[in-house]
Amino acid sequence: MRRFMGAEIDKQKFLLKQMGAQVEVINSFMCYVTFNVKNTEIAYCYNVNKKGDYFLERIKPYPEVAGTFKSEEDVINIIYTDIEQFKNATESHDFSLFIDINKKVSKSVREFEDLYLYYNVPHEYTEEIKKKIDEIQKLIKKAKSESKRVYFKTEPKALEEK
Amino acid sequence: MFSSASILITTAIFIITYALIVSEKFNRTSLALLGAATMLAFKIVSQEHAFEAIDFNTIGVLIGMMIIVIITKRTGIFQYVAIKAAKVAKGDPWKILLAFSILTAVSSAFLANVTIVLLITPITLVITETLEISPLPFLMSQILMANIGGTATLIGDPPNIMIGSATDLGFMDFIINLGPIVTVIIVAIIFVLKFMYGKELHVKEELKEKILKFDENKSIEDKVLLRKSLFVLALTVLGFVIHQYLHFESATIAIIGAALLLFISKLNPEEILLEIEWQTIFFFVGLFILVGALEEVGIIESMAKALISITNGNLFLTTILVLWVSAIASAFIDNIPFVATMIPLINSIGTMTSMSIMPLWWALALGACLGGNGSLVGASPNLIVAGMVEKTEYRISFGRFFKVGFPIMILSLIISTIYLIVFYL
Repeated sequence: MRRFMGAEIDKQKFLLKQMGAQVEVINSFMCYVTFNVKNTEIAYCYNVNKKGDYFLERIKPYPEVAGTFKSEEDVINIIYTDIEQFKNATESHDFSLFIDINKKVSKSVREFEDLYLYYNVPHEYTEEIKKKIDEIQKLIKKAKSESKRVYFKTEPKALEEK
Repeated sequence: MFSSASILITTAIFIITYALIVSEKFNRTSLALLGAATMLAFKIVSQEHAFEAIDFNTIGVLIGMMIIVIITKRTGIFQYVAIKAAKVAKGDPWKILLAFSILTAVSSAFLANVTIVLLITPITLVITETLEISPLPFLMSQILMANIGGTATLIGDPPNIMIGSATDLGFMDFIINLGPIVTVIIVAIIFVLKFMYGKELHVKEELKEKILKFDENKSIEDKVLLRKSLFVLALTVLGFVIHQYLHFESATIAIIGAALLLFISKLNPEEILLEIEWQTIFFFVGLFILVGALEEVGIIESMAKALISITNGNLFLTTILVLWVSAIASAFIDNIPFVATMIPLINSIGTMTSMSIMPLWWALALGACLGGNGSLVGASPNLIVAGMVEKTEYRISFGRFFKVGFPIMILSLIISTIYLIVFYL
């Protein structure tokens, strides 16, 4: 199996290098982690390697890149916090709505990318989409200011970004 | 003297293990180790004798050469040479097929043929996708050439490593005795390939232009490592050429080369050693113990007596029988266990008769290596390449391979028979 994977990587590396890429192949382990929180599957994928960078991504219930971390401890802490927050969130009556909205947001990002990369979109449409996104962001900020905070172990970094 | 019960148990363990290996329903390494462990459990061989039966010279050559190849392939030199060859051929498919076939044959003589096909196949697929033609003529040619090229030297194919290790035959003995005949076979096969594939290999000029746009320099990953690797590789080949005169075993040369390259490359040994095909190494270990047990109880001696009674101790008949039986057997079963069994058998023939067994070694080497072309399951390169294209539309089925491989094996054997008769019998 390792032989075939190596040969496949050689082919991909050759093609990518001909395109002008720098390719570095790192020996690593890919870990696929799943939890079942009140019948909702929450899954993560992360890569452990000796290079020092750990890539973590949440795959389910909706895809989201968590980022690059410097140690396995950071990865475990992120997953720990995430699961704890999801467990809290499942107590909410709007949990399924929350999941649904996030799935739609993820889908919208992909759709917008396709729209922009495959079509010559008139400027007014792009402006209109940006305006709608701004409105959603304002709505999130407004909701935050009018809601009671329920989790304090870590800070909501995305919400605090300017 | 062993009891008839011991002989019966040994024979049963050996036959069951080999039958299961041939059936390919279980992992061959697990089976070989289980068979060896069963021999130990039944006290057919003591642990001391079992360890003595392991041919550490073969193991050393395999591990040493694997380390050298693992490091050298990281430089991208094989891709560089392949692309350069395709560009020199100006994108002409037949010329590329010819260049890649010769490259595969020559490389396989000095490095493990399995590794060579693993390196050349991805490039072949890129080239044929670019030229919009079927990769099958190219892949089939490379498989055939990998098996034939590996026949020429002591280190080209595992059967030769085993034969060299069990005898006093050195690197130059293999080159001198097998090099010329392998060259003749390669030339003959090239004519056959031209006849088979020459007419179908035509592409549009604009596709040929695409090949010329590839930049071979982009394949070179580390120029410093490349210089170090080529230096050690050249030194190792030189070491093999003179190892008999220096009274060094072949494994010593391979291990010195591997250790030197590992040290000067400054690569992480953990990563390099991880890539060694430990499964193959432990397969050999298991087989050596299994065959060692057969020798211990005298079964090999009985088999040798039986073979001598069939051929009446006639060298001509025995040599031709060894050549053809080895080839036909190697076409359908793993040639490594076959050769592992044949080596002590031939040694026993040498002890029991006044026959010069030298031609038998060359017959075994030619038969076991060239037999690999007889069917899809005949040799590791065949299965490796077939596995790599299995998910594509260009699947290499048993029948598809057999139609090309078997007649080519027969042709190789006819040439080898003439060679052995003219020069050795």
